[in-house]
Amino acid sequence: MNVLEVKQLSKKFGDFIAVDNITMSVKEGEIFGFLGANGAGKSTAINMIASLLRVTKGEIEVLGKNIAKHSKFAKMNIGIVPQEMAIYEDMTAYENVRFFAGLYGLRGAELKERVIEALAFVGLGDKHKSYPKNFSGGMKRRLNIACAIAHRPKLLIMDEPTVGIDPQSRNYILGSVKKLNELGCTIIYTSHYMEEVEEICTRIAIIDHGKIIAEGTKGQLKAIITNQKNISIEVRSAENLNKSKLEAIAGVNRVEVEDRIVKVTSDSEINNLNRIIQQLMADDLEIRAVEENEPSLETVFLTLTGRSLRDQ
Amino acid sequence: MRDTLWLIRKTFMSTFKNYLNLFIYFVFPVMGILLATLVQGGTGDSELKMGIVNHDGGQAITKRMMDSVGKQDSMLVIELEENEIKGRIASGELDAAIIFPTGFAQSLIAHKPADVKIVSIKGAQVTGQVTATLDQHINNMVSVGRAAQGDEAKFIALYDKFQKPGFELAGKKVEDQSVNFNKTNQSIGYLLILMLVSASNLSGILIKERENRTYYRLLSSPISPRTYVLSNIIVNLTMMMLQIAVTLLIMMTIFHVDPGIPYWSMFLILVLFALVAIGLSLVIVAFSSSSSTASGMQNMILIPTSLLSGCMFPLVLMPETMQQLARFLPQYWLLDTFSDLQQGGSFGELSLNLIILIAFSVVFTLIAVYKFGRNNDTRSYI
Ligand SMILES: Nc1ncnc2c1ncn2[C@@H]1O[C@H](COP(=O)(O)OP(=O)(O)OP(=O)(O)O)[C@@H](O)[C@H]1O
Ligand SMILES: [Mg+2]
Repeated sequence: MNVLEVKQLSKKFGDFIAVDNITMSVKEGEIFGFLGANGAGKSTAINMIASLLRVTKGEIEVLGKNIAKHSKFAKMNIGIVPQEMAIYEDMTAYENVRFFAGLYGLRGAELKERVIEALAFVGLGDKHKSYPKNFSGGMKRRLNIACAIAHRPKLLIMDEPTVGIDPQSRNYILGSVKKLNELGCTIIYTSHYMEEVEEICTRIAIIDHGKIIAEGTKGQLKAIITNQKNISIEVRSAENLNKSKLEAIAGVNRVEVEDRIVKVTSDSEINNLNRIIQQLMADDLEIRAVEENEPSLETVFLTLTGRSLRDQ
Repeated sequence: MRDTLWLIRKTFMSTFKNYLNLFIYFVFPVMGILLATLVQGGTGDSELKMGIVNHDGGQAITKRMMDSVGKQDSMLVIELEENEIKGRIASGELDAAIIFPTGFAQSLIAHKPADVKIVSIKGAQVTGQVTATLDQHINNMVSVGRAAQGDEAKFIALYDKFQKPGFELAGKKVEDQSVNFNKTNQSIGYLLILMLVSASNLSGILIKERENRTYYRLLSSPISPRTYVLSNIIVNLTMMMLQIAVTLLIMMTIFHVDPGIPYWSMFLILVLFALVAIGLSLVIVAFSSSSSTASGMQNMILIPTSLLSGCMFPLVLMPETMQQLARFLPQYWLLDTFSDLQQGGSFGELSLNLIILIAFSVVFTLIAVYKFGRNNDTRSYI
């Protein structure tokens, strides 16, 4: 069953189209990655799904029910971790989670149990009585997550939950996401960190200028650019490399040298490995290893959108 | 309903956690009463200090009239110029002033007495008593005038004859409840300002929650925006009812100020004003994009209107046009209701005042609701 079904969804801010006619679906048990550069429209799309923004056009179904008609049902089953922190600084960690969980009708012993569970889940089990103003960025992020999961949503939407935090907190969060997913929670995960998405997501949609320009599993996405192949050749020393001769070989698009690794990007249809190796041998480079890599998601993204994921 | 209670509980919790809030709700109004008692001073048995302005100079009859006012036990009279009145009343040197118009003596002889004007800040209660005794005296003079048949010399002779035994301006001492009333009204004036500030602070939570984005989390939960705003209003009203109840109680029991109006009447009328304050605070929230704009608007609206409507010092001290302007302000109507009730007006007679207060709160609330509805960012409340 599809936990989420989005049909021809659009959002306009004045004349500006932030989300442009996207259609997608998320199946139960998936970790669905939403990949896009800054301003691509990820948050806008997600906020419409979470009823935080009015839909300009299109339909959204959660667990088979239209969210416009069954708004309460949809909201009960969704948890959102907003991109920017949404917690009360003047309430303790425990009070924060309890308050938000209470909005979903939980009370009494059950509420207490869920709050304790959620805080333990994000690793804040020993911080019940602390105020967020004394928290590190990573701890706040985790509290932000705890507030979204205490009511045990079927669909958890996370909008860049790891932005700007230390690697330790980030790993902890990624671990929690996987664990939550194993416990049966379907997750939509937004990020512009390629590695994260590649590590945890079962399916990925690439969004650019408000449009979904590609969608599928990692393998499927990489297959989109099968016309490219990456060859890495490790040599003893790349000093004598004649780069232009290498580039002149039929099919070769790009040659980069990183220390002792020569990276060649080439059309996959043309079998030119022999000629490349011959050229390197002619230059008297001592070849140590040759490896033909799958293209990375980064390459996929670059190829499809023509820009890098992060503004460097 | 369960949801509403949940939100109410949380709002109460954060309100009580903030000590500044508690000061504004409960400590400052009491300081207001203290200030009012100090400013208004006295116990209520003091002599009335009357000023007399004589525009009918050189007329023997007017002069005699002034003397008889001065003979009163409870009045201390000095003569002064009209332009001095406001300053002297403001500084507390005078309680009231009587102004005799030009041609006053002639008007008595012609037994068509001209109007004598009375200026006072002590409230209509004092003015009323002075007017009553003065009227009585003037009526007597008119009879004298009739007897004198327009002859001035005869008039003066008759006047002096009447003056001697038992012919006193007033039989009874003017009882001055005004000190108590003034203490009450001044305390209430301060209370009104603090109510307006309290209401704005509490509605301000709506903006703060937009700013710290917890509002969006609320929006994504099954709570409806209406429930959310409603719970805020309920807390706002409850806190102000507590504020009113405590302030009035302390004023009457600890400061022993007799307001001349029953406790519950005052309470109910002030609750009406609380609704006005909430309505106004919602308007401020609806038109503010951030906490800083909201507090800017708050400063620009609350203090000046309170000054203008007589919350800080009596209206009579202000120029005539300002006094007219005050009629457009809700604070004026509340203070007016109180002083009318102190003069013995009934609730029935004051229905216009009460309707005006209700109208203010309804209009403010409607403006806020309209504006909320038009904030096209979904993140609007209604
Ligand atoms: N309330 C708004 N009014 C006008 N334009 C908006 C509004 N919200 C977003 N936009 C615009 O819509 C576009 C998409 O924004 P969005 O926040 O969805 O991007 P994003 O993919 O989440 O980017 P980021 O990675 O920076 O979070 C941006 O160009 C942004 O400027
Ligand atoms: Mg975003």
